[in-house]
Amino acid sequence: MQRLIANLRFARALVVTNLRASLALRASFWLQAAFMAGNNFAFFTMWWILFARFKTLGSWRVDDMLTLFGVVAPGFGLAVALAGGARTLARGIVDGELDPLLVQPKSPLLHWAGSASAASGWGDLASGIGMLWLAGRLDWANAPFIALAIAASAVAFAASSLAFQSLAFWLGDVEQLALQLRDFTLNFALYPQPLFGGAIQLLLYTLLPAAAVGFLPVAVVRAPSVWTCAGALAGAVAWGAVAVGIFALGLRRYESGSRFGARG
Amino acid sequence: MTAQRLGRVTAKYLAFARAAGRRARAQRWSLLGRTVFIGIVLFVFSRIWAAIGPRDGLPGIGPRDLIWYLALTEWPVLSVPQAFLAIEADVRSGDVAVRLVRPVAYVGAHLAEAAGETATRLVFVGSSAFTFAYFIAGGLPADPRGLLLALPLVLLACVLLLLSVTAIGVTSFWVVDSMPFFWIWQKLMFVLGGLLFPLELYPEWLQRVARATPFPYMCWGPGSMAFGFAPGRALVNAAGGLAWAAALAAGLVALSRGARARLSVNGG
Repeated sequence: MQRLIANLRFARALVVTNLRASLALRASFWLQAAFMAGNNFAFFTMWWILFARFKTLGSWRVDDMLTLFGVVAPGFGLAVALAGGARTLARGIVDGELDPLLVQPKSPLLHWAGSASAASGWGDLASGIGMLWLAGRLDWANAPFIALAIAASAVAFAASSLAFQSLAFWLGDVEQLALQLRDFTLNFALYPQPLFGGAIQLLLYTLLPAAAVGFLPVAVVRAPSVWTCAGALAGAVAWGAVAVGIFALGLRRYESGSRFGARG
Repeated sequence: MTAQRLGRVTAKYLAFARAAGRRARAQRWSLLGRTVFIGIVLFVFSRIWAAIGPRDGLPGIGPRDLIWYLALTEWPVLSVPQAFLAIEADVRSGDVAVRLVRPVAYVGAHLAEAAGETATRLVFVGSSAFTFAYFIAGGLPADPRGLLLALPLVLLACVLLLLSVTAIGVTSFWVVDSMPFFWIWQKLMFVLGGLLFPLELYPEWLQRVARATPFPYMCWGPGSMAFGFAPGRALVNAAGGLAWAAALAAGLVALSRGARARLSVNGG
């Protein structure tokens, strides 16, 4: 328990440091965040066109699609803004760059994940909130459920990215493969769940975490209940455990880069 | 320029293209990812068209044609690399100063490399697109002769995409981080180009807006060949695409000269 609290404190310090680092380059920060928000709304135009013509897709209406984007985009955004290091873990493993972290007292996985931040993530967060407002979901009564859903999606995104990248301990340089798996996950998570049948659903609930990053958190906002909240939390915790487990197993095989250097 | 000199210059850029093509073939995970990705997209959209069903559809265009439409629009889009990242990396690291003194045009060399990579990917992504489209759609489009007309339009789409992404890369001489421009350009291409849904589905006013831009020649032009054998429409698309390619090439040349002048004034 004491270790968990220490790690949570460390995570909070990383978040604060990342925020400061992002805001240090103000022009770049606002440019990236604003353009990413514009990017998300531009992409959503396609769904507006489709729903304007056909009204429904399965049982889904445009408000449901807005809710889906309103949860998944902030989830993805928070993951890349607060755990941007997940993107490069495979390269770090292959190049032996974990050395400086292994001699420090805090979790090397948490340290690596929190060591980088993408400012565009804040644009994802802002555009997602905007979409929830457009969907008519943004009110005080819904706020705790929205926060839970976005947090669960973000944890599942970051954890699954770390798990995919940790495959580098066994397979070598899998950075591109891991990024593609992340993109596949995002791609599936941004489509209405009823489109997919039994076998594909099984895949999306297991090997590809589309359910944990999208379907389960979105269910919390669409139909808040104890069960939907428990489902979203279970998905996030499960992928968190998978990421920690794979990384810990892989670390036993890690070969040092024998590098000398300092890390702030 | 004499024929001999022209031959030497062409050979230089072909060497860049060939080397980049070999690099692209070596990146197996990336190639595999793209070939699988196109299958996933086709599958998802087959489910979307199945969910929509025949109601209020497009006259004369069936779900099978729409799957092939998507295969043809995604083919060039997934084949062209994000060439702007290489230019941006040169600017960030300062390597651009070293590359500029080489006896090749800096932007021309990047364009040649991107073209070489595109040529390799076209083969792999095209094979995958054709195979997945055939099995997911349950056969060829209603009039498969249109696929033959799509081939030159796909190549033209690649030229337009290459010129655009390279121009985005050159903007990094001014802003360093060109990624935000890429995001917006890419989404405009998705929407106004008709990447996922044919322009015929759009409201009339948006169709008019789209047709006033180069984006439909990057996606809808080749994709619409899945809707039947229409040599007249293919010729119009080719003429429009060539005109936009000339305009984009002229814009890229002007942008490159501006970038070089800026670097000379401000330093690398």
